[in-house]
Amino acid sequence: MLRFELKKIWSKRMNQGAVLLLLVIVIAGSFLAARDVKYYKEDGSSVSGIFAAGRLRREKNKWKGYVTEDVLKKVVEENKRAHDEADTADGAFIKYQGLSDLREWINSGMAGRENYDYYLCDSISTDTAATLYEKRVSLLKEEFAGQGYSKEEKEVLLRRYGEFEAPLYYGYADGWKAVLDSQYLPTLMIISIVIIGFLVSGVFSCEFQLGADSVFFSANYGRNRGVLAKVEACFAVVTVIYWAAMLLFTGLVLGMLGAQGAGLMIQTDSLNWMCMYNITFAEKWLLTMFGGYVAHLCILFFAVLVSAKSRSAVAAVTIPFALSCAPMFLGRVPFLTKAMNLFPDMLLRISTFLRDNLIYTIGGKGHGVYEILIPVYLLLALLMMPVMYAGYRRSELG
Amino acid sequence: MELRINNLTKEFGGFTAVDHLNLTMENGVYGLLGVNGAGKTTFMKMLCTLLTPTEGEIRCNGREIREMDGEYRKILGYLPQDFGFYPEFSVQDYLLYIAALKGLRPVVAKRRARELIEKTGLRKAAKKKMRALSGGMKRRAGIAQAMLNNPKILVLDEPTAGLDPNERIRFRNLISELAEERLVLLSTHIVSDVEYIANQILLMKGGRIVLEGEASELIDSMEEGVWSVFARKNEVSAFMKKYKVSNLKTEHDGVELRIIAGKRPARDAVLVDANLEDVFLYYFGEKAGEENAAV
Ligand SMILES: Nc1ncnc2c1ncn2[C@@H]1O[C@H](COP(=O)(O)OP(=O)(O)O)[C@@H](O)[C@H]1O
Ligand SMILES: [Mg+2]
Repeated sequence: MLRFELKKIWSKRMNQGAVLLLLVIVIAGSFLAARDVKYYKEDGSSVSGIFAAGRLRREKNKWKGYVTEDVLKKVVEENKRAHDEADTADGAFIKYQGLSDLREWINSGMAGRENYDYYLCDSISTDTAATLYEKRVSLLKEEFAGQGYSKEEKEVLLRRYGEFEAPLYYGYADGWKAVLDSQYLPTLMIISIVIIGFLVSGVFSCEFQLGADSVFFSANYGRNRGVLAKVEACFAVVTVIYWAAMLLFTGLVLGMLGAQGAGLMIQTDSLNWMCMYNITFAEKWLLTMFGGYVAHLCILFFAVLVSAKSRSAVAAVTIPFALSCAPMFLGRVPFLTKAMNLFPDMLLRISTFLRDNLIYTIGGKGHGVYEILIPVYLLLALLMMPVMYAGYRRSELG
Repeated sequence: MELRINNLTKEFGGFTAVDHLNLTMENGVYGLLGVNGAGKTTFMKMLCTLLTPTEGEIRCNGREIREMDGEYRKILGYLPQDFGFYPEFSVQDYLLYIAALKGLRPVVAKRRARELIEKTGLRKAAKKKMRALSGGMKRRAGIAQAMLNNPKILVLDEPTAGLDPNERIRFRNLISELAEERLVLLSTHIVSDVEYIANQILLMKGGRIVLEGEASELIDSMEEGVWSVFARKNEVSAFMKKYKVSNLKTEHDGVELRIIAGKRPARDAVLVDANLEDVFLYYFGEKAGEENAAV
């Protein structure tokens, strides 16, 4: 019966079109994400994506290894040398492309979020640069003084920062950075949830819409296994399409830029320098993807539930859109910000929000917001399956 | 197979669509005859466990059908009045799906689907998409799905509505053929449908069964006579106002009227044999479905 439920979905031209659209978007998105990785040649011209990957990898892997105090000093020296040798800033940049990541560690790691200075590394002394890892904790404490951090939040942050293992091991990881730390992934997740919403919108409501409900519910399995097959079909479509899209995106980007660096800490991307989660790129990928999956299940099951109740596909098409986009705007309203941080759409944006170190306090203990959101929404998603089943099987046909 | 209906009632808001129905049915063909809005569909939906009765119960061989749950639906076949389907499915896919939904094993499902496609004359259309079928073909696919599980109880809601006269006759024959060894309840607002295939006729009006029996019993139950009157054209409207007129036949020098009346309506009126059409008019005060004129 599951087979036929899937056939009902797939046989619709509109749905085939929607899947095709998603495919095109994933492919386009992966090329755009890869294109952001650039390599500048001696003559000032640049190549990007797959053409940049090889050269960048060679340059950057010259610095591969533990970034100790000595290495940090060397970064400052090499940076200076590049500037001395080149006539212009651009010329210098071409020379220090291999150490550009490490240069950024110093730029962002010595100054803090507010005072970021692109030229900091050019003027810093080698001895100051060597204190980079200690500076990380002291910057955090400076932040504590400024903003209204609660006791619990401070406790969590300090503990996580304490668990951070210096020195970091550095290497080329531009593939993973392009997958995880660009804006494309959250956008792709929103698009995917809207498109999958479109696909599953009719699973329950179509029987009513088509007038096939009388035959369905008067059949032997119409109020048990037939309904179960619908729940399974929703689950299968969400799971298969979501993971296919995400794996394809990841595979294409890594295929173009290389998969090296999976085991590096995420802080090796300077964007994540202050991130409190001490995990590797591969772990962040798993977390992001699993979180996104939970959000898909939760939001889409809810949408399907409403559409089953309202007997119309409209809800299933609009709810994913509303739930994944509206909180972004509502979150700008100051007194709503805190509440919006608990919306399931947060799970679509783990890759970018992880570095915001959002912490929620429950029962006097602070937790990273995702340590709460993922299990709670997973539980909700799982609970919605029996609710879908129980609600639908008792349908009355007036 | 015995269906016993006790005090069955369905209210929508304050409106009573089915009103304390009491009825017992056994194997055989029952024709449920009533004008639009009489409550036929509502009654049938309750028989098919699609609607919960406001009051009363339906027992199948002594057991309440909603408590029997799947066990009851297993022996049920239903052709709804407004029959929808999956437009992109072929007839064959559709039947295989409904067969799965009815709990048939795949091998059995395939065989049954093939048999019924043959029997309903859909062989050429078996691979066609449902949306490409004509009205009559859809109805045939509908009866095929109802028959997949070889139901002991077959409920057909207006199975001939909207069919052209030829289709309707073929359809009646098909139903007669399928009617053996089971309980068939078919609703219609067309008298000739039940006249040919039903052994028992149930006249439904305002949510109640006002009369039940074989055609001859129903005819005998009329307390007025049926008269044939020849009238001039200018007299017709006067007759129409005064009597129930079941038929009009215009001739070149006047009109032949068929009138139901307790007493002789005109001096030259001739008493004729009553038929079911007359019964329908007599009890419902209006004529049977318009399509009837075509057959
Ligand atoms: N879901 C409903 N809500 C309100 N009224 C209804 C509903 N279904 C049927 N009715 C009313 O009940 C009456 C009987 O309808 P129905 O059973 O469809 O009659 P029939 O099939 O004999 O034409 C009609 O007056 C109809 O308007
Ligand atoms: Mg009806």
